[in-house]
Amino acid sequence: MWARGLAGIFPGFLLSAGLVGILSWLWPGPWQATVVVGLVAFFLVWMCVIGSSFFFANGRRAWAWISGAALLLLGGLWLMQWLHWIE
Amino acid sequence: MKLKSTTLRTFTTLHTWVGVVAGFALFVAFYAGAITVFHHELQAWQSPHAADRPQHSLADAQLLLDETLARHPAARKHVGMLFPGEESPHAVIYWQDEKGTWLFATQDDLQGSEKPPQAALSELINALHYSVGIPVAGTYLMGIVSLLYGVALFSGLVIHLPKLTQDLFALRPGRNLKRFWQDAHNVIGVLSLPMHLMFAVTGALLCLMLVVMLALNPLIYRSGLMAALPAVMDTAPIRSPAGESTHRGTLSMWHARSIEVALAQGQVSFEPAYLKLANAGDRNAVVEVTGQSPGALGPLGAVALDAGTGAVLATQLPGGRDANHAAIASTFALHFGEYGNAWVKALYFLMGLGGAFLFYSGNLLWVESRRKRRQVEQGRAPLNLARATVGACIGLCVAVSVAFVATQLLEMTAGSREINVASGISWACFGSWALCMLWAALRPPVRAARELLWTAAVTTLLVPIAHGAATGWWLWRSAAAGHWNLFWIDAGAIAMAFGFAALARATARRARLGEPNSVWSL
Repeated sequence: MWARGLAGIFPGFLLSAGLVGILSWLWPGPWQATVVVGLVAFFLVWMCVIGSSFFFANGRRAWAWISGAALLLLGGLWLMQWLHWIE
Repeated sequence: MKLKSTTLRTFTTLHTWVGVVAGFALFVAFYAGAITVFHHELQAWQSPHAADRPQHSLADAQLLLDETLARHPAARKHVGMLFPGEESPHAVIYWQDEKGTWLFATQDDLQGSEKPPQAALSELINALHYSVGIPVAGTYLMGIVSLLYGVALFSGLVIHLPKLTQDLFALRPGRNLKRFWQDAHNVIGVLSLPMHLMFAVTGALLCLMLVVMLALNPLIYRSGLMAALPAVMDTAPIRSPAGESTHRGTLSMWHARSIEVALAQGQVSFEPAYLKLANAGDRNAVVEVTGQSPGALGPLGAVALDAGTGAVLATQLPGGRDANHAAIASTFALHFGEYGNAWVKALYFLMGLGGAFLFYSGNLLWVESRRKRRQVEQGRAPLNLARATVGACIGLCVAVSVAFVATQLLEMTAGSREINVASGISWACFGSWALCMLWAALRPPVRAARELLWTAAVTTLLVPIAHGAATGWWLWRSAAAGHWNLFWIDAGAIAMAFGFAALARATARRARLGEPNSVWSL
C-alpha cells in the first residue's frame, strides 16, 4: 500500500505537473493566460493520480509506470520549450 | 464496471484509513467552516455596540484614510480599505509597515494594531477552519488533509461505482445496523460528491498554492511564473511612482467612478466592497476598486483607476474578464459561498454541518464494522477510536460554543478593565476542548458521548443568553430592530442546542435499548 501511495505522491506530482504543463503550453495563446486554471486543475489531476496509483498490482510497477510517464511528459514539454515549438 | 476483488480490497483499505486519518481534521474544518460562512455577522455579534452605532458614511471613511496616510508613511506606498457597507458597517484600513507586518486601523484606533478590530472570535473560528488553530504549520497540514480528502473521495467512488446506480436510493433500516449506516454514508457521499470534490480541490489550492507554485515554477513554467503573477492576480497595472505629488483623489470620487465604469460595461449593478491604493498622492497613483456584481458565479470584479483623475486603466468585470480572473473569482466564491444571496450562505452552513456529520458517521462505521457481536469485551482499537471521535468531535462543538460565550463575557469585562479579549477567547476554546478530550479518555465512550453532547447542548444554549445579558441585544429585540445578522446567530445557536440534545437522547437510547456487546452499550 505505502509504496503505491508514495508513487502517486512523488512521481505522481511530476506526472501531474507534466500533464498540466503540456496542456497549458499547447493551449492556444500564451501560457500566462491560463495559469490559474492550470493551478486549479493541477490539484484535481494530482488527487486522481494518487488515487489511480492503487490500481497497479504492486509498488514497483506503480513507481516504474508513473515515473516513466512523468519523464516522458516533462521531457517532451522541455524539448518543445527548448525548440521554441510552443510559447 | 467489474473490479477484481484484490483491487476492491485495496481501495476499501485505502478509503478506510485515509478517511480515519483525515476525518478528524475534516470534521473540524467543516464544523468551523460552516460557522465561518457568517464571518462578517460574527464581527457584529462580538462587538458590544455595533448595533447601536450608526453605519459609517464615505465621509467618515475619508477622514480615516486621510489620517492614516498622514500618520503612517508606509501606508502611502500601498494601502487597502473596506468601504463601509452592509458587510462591515465601519470603515477599516490596513497596510504593511516597514517590516512587512499587516496593521489594521479604525476611527477608534488610528495608530493601528496587528489584530483586526473586534474580530477575535471570527478570526479564531476561521483559524480553526483552515489550520485547526495551529499557527503556520496548520495551514500546510490542512492542505495535506485536503489532498487526502480528495484521495478518499476518489477511492470511495471506485468502491461504490459498480453498485452506484442500483444502490443509490437504498436506505435499509433494520437489524443490520452496519448496512443502515453504510447506506446512509453512501447516499450522502454520492449526492454531495460535487460539493466535496469542489472543497477538496479549492481547499488544497488555498492552503498549498504557494509551495506548489514554487515547485511548478522551474518544472513547467521555465521560472517565469513569478513575473507573470501580478498581471494574473491584480487588475491594476503596476506604475512606478513619478515622484511628483498631485491631487490624491477622494473615496467618493472613486466610489462613484467605479460604479459608473461598471454600469457602462454592462453590469446590472456594482457595489464597491474594498479598494487598494498604490502610491497615494503621487501623479502615478493607482486605485483598484473591487465590488460585487450580482448574478455571476464569481461576483467580485474590479475597476482600476488613475487615482488623481479617475481615468480607467483596466477592468476585470463578470462577463468581460480574462480566464485567470474569472477562475480566481469563481474559485473563491465557490469555496466561500459568496455567489448568491443569504440562501446560499444558509445552504453552505447546512452543507458544512452535513459534511462534518459524514466524517463522524465514517468513524462510527469503522467502530461498528469491528464490533465483536458475541462477547461483551470489545477490542482496544474500536474503543480508542470511539474515545477519540467523541473527545475530538463533540469536544470541538463544546469548545466553539464556549468560545462564543467567553467572547460576550470578555467583551463586557473589557469595557471596565484592561484585558486581552483575543487570548482569553483562545484559552477558553482550546482549554475546554482539551478538557473534553481528557473526559472522553477517562470515561466509557458511551457515557462520555452522552455527557459531552449534553454539555454541548447547554453551552450552545448559553450563547444567545450570554449575548443578551452582556449587550442587551436579546434575540427578540434584535428581530424587532431588524438586526437579522444578530438574530440569526442567536436563533441558530438555539436550534443547534436542540440538535445536540436530540443526539444526546439518541445516544442514551442506544445505550439502553440497542444491541449489547458494543462500545456504545452499557
